[in-house]
This record gives sequence, C-alpha cells and structure tokens, in this order.
Amino acid sequence: MGKIVFCEDDPMIQKLIRTALRSAGHQIFIASDGAEGLQLIERELPDVVFSDVSMPNLDGFQLGDALRAGPTTAHIPIVYMTASVQRSQIEEALQHGAVGVLPKPFTMTDLRARVAEFAGPVK
Amino acid sequence: MRRIPRSRTFYLGASLLYALVVFGVIEAFYDWEFARAGLLDGPVGPLDLARRTVSLHLASLGLWTAFSLAAGEVAYRFAAQLSTALGEAEQRGTELALISELSAVLAGPLGSSEVAAAFLGGIRRIVPPTVTTALIAYEEVAASFRSLANDGPRAGSQLGMTGKIHPLAVLPAQMRDRLIGEQRSFVVPDTAVVPDWPAFAARFPAMSGVRAVAALPLVSRSRLIGALLLYDETPGAFDRDQLQLLALLGQYVSGALHNALSLSEAEARADRESAVNRVAQRLRGSLSPDQVLAATAEEVGRALGVSRALICTGSTREDLAVLHEWHADGVAPHGVGTRGRLPLAVLAARENRTIAVRDGRDDPRLVDPTLGSRALIEDGTIAGLATPIGLGGQLSGVLVLHQIGAPRGWTSGEVRLVEGVARELRVAIETARLFAQQREAVTELERLSQAKSDFVSIVSHEFRTPLTGIQGFSEMMRDEDLTTAEMKEYAGDINKDAQRLNRMINEMLNLDRLESGRMSLASASVDLNALISEVVDGVLPGAAGHPIVLRLDPGLGSVTADRDKLTQVVVNLLSNAVKYSPGGGEIVVTTRAEGPNAHVLVRDHGMGIPADGLEKVFERFARLESDATRFIQGTGLGLPIVRQIVTLHGGEAWVESTVGEGSVFQFTIPLAAPPSVASV
Repeated sequence: MGKIVFCEDDPMIQKLIRTALRSAGHQIFIASDGAEGLQLIERELPDVVFSDVSMPNLDGFQLGDALRAGPTTAHIPIVYMTASVQRSQIEEALQHGAVGVLPKPFTMTDLRARVAEFAGPVK
Repeated sequence: MRRIPRSRTFYLGASLLYALVVFGVIEAFYDWEFARAGLLDGPVGPLDLARRTVSLHLASLGLWTAFSLAAGEVAYRFAAQLSTALGEAEQRGTELALISELSAVLAGPLGSSEVAAAFLGGIRRIVPPTVTTALIAYEEVAASFRSLANDGPRAGSQLGMTGKIHPLAVLPAQMRDRLIGEQRSFVVPDTAVVPDWPAFAARFPAMSGVRAVAALPLVSRSRLIGALLLYDETPGAFDRDQLQLLALLGQYVSGALHNALSLSEAEARADRESAVNRVAQRLRGSLSPDQVLAATAEEVGRALGVSRALICTGSTREDLAVLHEWHADGVAPHGVGTRGRLPLAVLAARENRTIAVRDGRDDPRLVDPTLGSRALIEDGTIAGLATPIGLGGQLSGVLVLHQIGAPRGWTSGEVRLVEGVARELRVAIETARLFAQQREAVTELERLSQAKSDFVSIVSHEFRTPLTGIQGFSEMMRDEDLTTAEMKEYAGDINKDAQRLNRMINEMLNLDRLESGRMSLASASVDLNALISEVVDGVLPGAAGHPIVLRLDPGLGSVTADRDKLTQVVVNLLSNAVKYSPGGGEIVVTTRAEGPNAHVLVRDHGMGIPADGLEKVFERFARLESDATRFIQGTGLGLPIVRQIVTLHGGEAWVESTVGEGSVFQFTIPLAAPPSVASV
C-alpha cells in the first residue's frame, strides 16, 4: 500500500490511470498541472510521483527540479510519462532527476509494474 | 676679364692731355734750339723773329688740339663698339655655361620636383635677388596644377602652394587664358591692373604684396607641361631681355620635366594597376564575396587616403544602399544598410559616369534638391568621388569615396584607379548577390526540413496522447472482467479518443490542402450572423462557465463564402476562446459592417497572448512553443486553418491581446453586396 501522485493534464489519461489502479489498493492523487502537482506532493509526501512532461504552469522537468530543491521532497522518486520517444527528451528527463521513463502510449501492464516497483505490489 | 673704358669724357680728356703735353714738349725743344743758335740773344733780329711767330704758335696749338680731340672721339667710338661686342660674347658664354650646367644636371634620373628645384637653383644667378621663382606642373585631365618647387625670398612654406593640388579655376582668368589657352607668356608689370588678383592673393596669403608677375609656359612636344612663375614686390621688376632668356632656358627644362612627369605617371599607373590586380586576384580567389567586398573597400580607402569608402548596391538609383563600408580611424561610419543620404552615388548612377567633387559646399551639381546635398556635408564630408558599377548596361551599384574636413582635388590617376576597381567589382557584386540568394534558398530549405521534422515529431507526440487512452481502455476490456456498463463506458472513451485522433488527422490534411492551394471553395451566399448563432448553439453545451454573448449587427448582410469552411473558422475561434480561458468568463462575439467588409470579433477573458506571440499563434503547432498553453488539447492547427480560410476568402485574420486580461481574435471577410441603408 503506497501513496502515489500523478501529474497529468489530459482528462482521458487521468481517467485511464484511475481505472487501471482502482483496485491496487494505493492512495492515488491526480493533479492537472505542475503547480497543483507540487502543492499536492509537498502536502502528501508520496512514495513516488508519475508526471507528464508537457503541462501548464509548471512543466514536468520544472516540477522535478522543484522537488529536488525542496528538503522534504528531494528523496521522492519521479517517473516521467512522455509521448516523446526522442532520445534527447529521455536524456533530459534523467538529468532532471527521473528514476525512470514511461513512454506513452503505455500498456496497463507496464503502468502497474512501475507503480508496484516504487509503491509496493498491487493487491 | 679686363674692362674696356667706356666713357666719352675719358677719351676726350686723354686726347686733350696728350695734345697739350706734345705741344709743350715741342715748344720747349724749339726754345732750346733757338737759344743755342743765339737767335734769342741779339737786340734785334732773333727776338723779333720770336715775337713775330707767337701768332703762328697759337694757331698750331689750336689746330693740334682740335685734331687730338677728333682722334679721341674716334677712339671712344671704336672702344664702345669693341666693349659691346665683348660684353655680348661674355653673356653668351654665361648662358652657354648655364645651359650646359642645367643639361648636365637634368640628364640624370630625377623626379619632377628635383628637376624643378635644380632649374630654379640654376637660374637663380641671372634672376635679381628680390624675385621669387616657382615651377608648377599642369594636370590636363583633372584641370588642376601643383607646385613642384620654388626659390627666392617668398619661397617655402609661406607660399602655401607647394605639393598641393589646386584647380585651375583659382588662377586669375587672364593668366589662365594666356598660359593654358594660348600657351604664351603672361607678364603683368603691376598686379593692380589684374581684376581678379585680390581673390587669388586672398587664397594664397603669401601672394599679397606681390606687384609684378610673370608666368612663362613650359611646353614640350607641343604639350603644356607647366609654367615658370616669377613675382616681385616692385612693379615693373622684370625686363624683356631677362624674360626672353628665362623663356629660352625654360625650353631646356620642359623636356626634362616632361620625361620626369611621364615617368611618375607611368609609375603611378603601374601602382594603380597592381592595386587593381590585387583587388582582382582577391575577388577571384576568395570564397566569400562579402569578405572580398569589405576588403576591397578597405584597400581603395587606404590606397587613396580617404575618410570613407562605401560600396553601395542597388539596381536603380532610388534603391541604392550601403552594402559594405570602410572608414578611417576616428571617422564615424556612414552606416551599412543606409538608404538615402547618398547624393554622390545617386548623381553617379544618374549620369552613369564618375563624379568627382572637390568641394561639395559650392559644387553646382549638388544644388539639386532631389539629391539631398546637405547630406554630403552634414557629417563633414566635403569632397567625394563616386563611380557607377554596372553589369551589361544594368546598374548594380556605386563605389563612393568620402573626404572629410577639407576640399580635395582628385587626380586623373585616382579617378582611373577607382574606375578600375569598380570594373572588377561588377562581377564580385553579382556573385555576392547570387551567393546571398543561394544562401537564402539553402536557409529556406533548412527551415523547411526542420519544420518537417518538427512536424513529424509533434504529430507523433500529439497522436500518442489519444492512443494512450485507446490502448489502455481496450487493454482493460480485453484482460479484465468488466460489467456491461463498464464495457460500454470504456468503449465510449475509446470512441472519443478515436474521434479526437480522426479530427487531428482531418485538420492536418485540411491545412495541408489549404496551404498548397488544392482546396477549392464552394461559394454561396452565407448569412454570417445566422452562421455564428448556429455555431454558438453547437459550442454552448461544452462551454460550461463561459456565457457566450452575441452582439450581432442586424444590417450586416450576407457574404459570399464556403459555408463549411466559414463554420470551421467560427468553431475554431470559439473553441479556442473557451479553451484558453480556463478560468471561465464571458465570451463576446461581435459582428459589424465596415466599408466593404464584415468584421467579426471574438473576445475572451482568458490568459492572453504576449506581444511577440501575436503572429506566432497563427503558425502551425505554435501553441506547443509556449509553456503557458501547451497543456491545452489540440492540434495546434486551429488558428493556422482560420487564417488560411479567411485569406482564401480575401479577408484578414489577426488577434489583439493583453496578457492576463484576454484576447480579441478577429477576422474580416468581404461582404457580398454593399451594406443596406439600415446598417449605416
């Protein structure tokens, strides 16, 4: 049982995540942009953050940098969900503190595996 | 040489003395002989004889004296003639000695100034010490003269002429006509009778106080080489014989001077040719025409010691602009890219020949107001030289030189140098133009190639978002035990994302067709107000929190347009207004007739667009370039499509915006018929 914050602006993908993880037993929080995500993370201090890269207000990389700069959030692992498969963006993600990249479109199997890796097994 | 006495008194005096002495001696001899013979001793006889001879004595004395004086006169005349003959011989000797001396000196390989100085030094001994001499060389092509040397009390720097080039116009008119027009001597016993002498003297302060002037032409092989000038403070200081002698001597020096000047001319020509060759070599050798032009401007500028060298390009004299510029240290640049303020270039282009301006302040050619002559001297540029650069009768540019601060006469050599360089520049400018064209084409190709790869990258990125939904939901339907309700729900979600994907593909294809001009319009009469109302009814359900207010001009009339395309324009603008004002707020749609056009405005109270983005938003996928907007779903093609459709209809689309307050997207489209009276 873990605590996870997702930052994703696309409503359909938000719904997909909720549905896919509805029975995993984790505490799921979803933010629609980077700034909202940062507040949520600072408040909840989750086990892992899954973040989109292209988001309003604060993009995924800025969010990652902000987390690493905060004393209470610096240790929280962040996984980027990106639609870009360009090598440059994956390398950039790693530079912004990513522990992994989940390329879109991702399968539910991949999503659940990644979640289990950082937040404990799905029940 | 022993002098022969020349005075008549001397000869007559000597004759008289001789006569008296001889007479006295003879008298004494006779007295002594008479006394010895005892003729003087008797009371009568000899004494009486003596007394009787007194009158005879006196008569013979008179006769003797007269004879002697006549002889003295003859001797005087003879001596005078002899003396004249001897004097002439002596002067001839002096002249010959001077000529042979000058010939010996002038035979050596001398420069024109050395020849002139040697000549003035040579004639110094036959010229009175109060007379100043000067030798000037005449430049036929440039209609100017320059002083080669001067000698005498007023010589040296105080003359203010040496080495400098002066236009012929500064010489007194009479002197000019006589010397240059007729190639004859100009002798003025008193400068008070020369009308324009004061102006000349004012120009050369050392000339004030000069009262007598002589100018002797120096002609060689029937070409005027220059002149020997003599001047003195005493009126009538020169005598004819002296001037004739000097004119004669002048003929000896003019040949030598001619040779010296020809030699220096040939050397200057060789220098020019090597300068032109250097330019030409560089022009052919270098790969970058811009570098070549810049270097050429510098080379010409330095070679001629001017303040600025400008290479202007343009195919007509109106669009001449500075392409390259060199300026001397401490000189303000004219400005690369400058258009206008180029009176010399315009003049040279108009006349299609080289224009040399000695002093722009009083040059009548620059009075023409269309040239903006003030511009030539605004920055202190006083003299200038401009030559057109043409290719096949077509103007391609002008080479311009500026001289700041002082007038400057241009020698024929300098003019030829600049013209030579201009000939070489023709090709370079043409090459530079082609080079720039090619570079532009390459840049455009690179841009297109970049745009294409950006497009592919963006499209694949955009497509993956709905694909994630489709793939995820279908995966769950396949793998999980779901209720029928869940199944239906997920299938609906999949359907929505599939539609989204389809919409993106359609928009992309549409835009492609619009941009490539393959989209044809199905024109019909469309009631714009009605169309907007229909769209609003369609958009309204999805626009919660966005009340849409219509302010439609009832007299707007109809437009001739493609109904479906125009609907897409309004849909795109309205959905953008909803999407980009996430905080809600009223959306106002206004229509009004403006002259021949219908004007439609869609005002939102959204985030607004910064000034530098006002045009960008109409570019493909531009929305992705902005952090503030990239979260908003869409293809980034909505506004480019709006602009394409509106343009295709003969209208315009644009946006006005204030960040944080909202945007007003608007477009115009031509009305089908003039607006009705009611709408005015």
